[in-house]
Amino acid sequence: MGFRVIDGGMVSWLDSQAIYHAVAAAMSGAGSPVVTLVNPSKPYICIGYHQELEKEVDVDYCRENGLPITRRQVGGGAVYLDENQLFWHIIVPRSQAPYRIEEVYTRYLAGPVNALRRMGIPAVHRPVNDIQVEGRKIGGTGAATIGDAVVVVGSLIFDFNYETMVRVLKVPSEKFRDKVYRSMREYLTTIRRELGARTPTWEEGKQILIEEIAKSLQQDVYLDRLNEREETEMSRWRKTLTDEEWLYQAGGLRHKGLKIAEGVHVGEAAHKAPGGLVRATIVTKERTLDDLALSGDFFIFPDNSLPDLETALVGASLSEQELFERSTEFWLGNKIQSPGLAPIDVAKVVMLAAGEQAA
Amino acid sequence: MTSAVYRGCEFPEGLFYDVERDVWVRRDEDGCVTLGMTDPAQAQCGKFVHLRFKAVGRTLQRGQSAATIESAKWVGPFPTPLTGEIVATNEAAFKQDILLANRDPYGAGWLVRLKPTHLEEEWQSLLPQEQAFERYTAKIDEKNARCYRCID
Repeated sequence: MGFRVIDGGMVSWLDSQAIYHAVAAAMSGAGSPVVTLVNPSKPYICIGYHQELEKEVDVDYCRENGLPITRRQVGGGAVYLDENQLFWHIIVPRSQAPYRIEEVYTRYLAGPVNALRRMGIPAVHRPVNDIQVEGRKIGGTGAATIGDAVVVVGSLIFDFNYETMVRVLKVPSEKFRDKVYRSMREYLTTIRRELGARTPTWEEGKQILIEEIAKSLQQDVYLDRLNEREETEMSRWRKTLTDEEWLYQAGGLRHKGLKIAEGVHVGEAAHKAPGGLVRATIVTKERTLDDLALSGDFFIFPDNSLPDLETALVGASLSEQELFERSTEFWLGNKIQSPGLAPIDVAKVVMLAAGEQAA
Repeated sequence: MTSAVYRGCEFPEGLFYDVERDVWVRRDEDGCVTLGMTDPAQAQCGKFVHLRFKAVGRTLQRGQSAATIESAKWVGPFPTPLTGEIVATNEAAFKQDILLANRDPYGAGWLVRLKPTHLEEEWQSLLPQEQAFERYTAKIDEKNARCYRCID
């Protein structure tokens, strides 16, 4: 019999989230898998299940700019979603899904990964749940158990609005925002950035995706519509997803820093050195310092040496010892005078920004 | 209390199991029951990053979720195999150590205590260790599962 494909086309922002929650909630243990495909008619912000809205998102900015916000019952961080992203949701009875979550991703990401490859993008599944192309993320994914179903969600990103994504995030400083923006531009890619004029049309992309998901699941597919039970669940989920209590749930999860892609993080921390406060905003890639900005109320002479110090530290591994040695070398080589700020303070603040406990 | 172990997955004696929902149940002397995730369940979802419990005093129907768990890459419910009122949660301990269920799923990592209201009719769906172990070995083979505990 195979699995059902429900191609919802362009739907309201609310239905683009409600649809997979509803199909999962309506699924019985003995059902067959369902794939839903939609894109939202207008942009919106979607936060992860355990996030605390006001700590993650600039709610005032979203209100002023008419960006709706909702919370999904899937984990992860806040994301900006719009009509240039083709959302796919693979919904499978729990009894048919692999047991370990790593295997869930391996099995169900194969279709979307192969679809990108067929378009000409050398995409790979980077465990646990990234889809990457030559070290850059081209699709985030997530998984959840909702009712008796396992749900794996993701999107084919044709184009991405980096500016708005970065603007809506609540961040500790504008420097942090700038680092997030730059690292997103560098480490988050899209189908159009990879393929340019060879980018398939929306409908071609969708067809490739359906075919590759079918191949990976080794089942036939047939196009279908939501059934009555699923429609009933849709009504229920539309209410839940717009419920203020649901949206403003408190006591949520607070991630240290911000993950851009698997292995790429932005972090910020301050450290009180004897001469004043020093703050580091950093980008790390595979536990190596990829970029950093230092600031604070300390003095350093020559007074133009800070950018050179930052450059000297780029490429260092996240080890207090190595950061200390590189800083010391810079201090000695450039005859640095910095009352109350020593190489060890630089090493400590970078480690703190990386979320590591400085010794 | 002795345990049966298969592919790293432990199943202590004296507990009762809902194999389908991956939940263990212990009958306490005060008539309440303590519930937690089984070893395969904690291994399946991986390291917890967050937990949200339903409120104490709330009555849950069998199958409803008593808590929502978020691990690094998954969100899912903790379903109760018994109908009853939540009389306690282990929230305070998980606030101290979010990995409690990954380290000690049958002890310090318990999740909720319930005052069951339909115990007689629902209890028969739970299996004692010996029978549960038989079912679990088949399930673990079928899913090619293995259990790991957090020790750090």
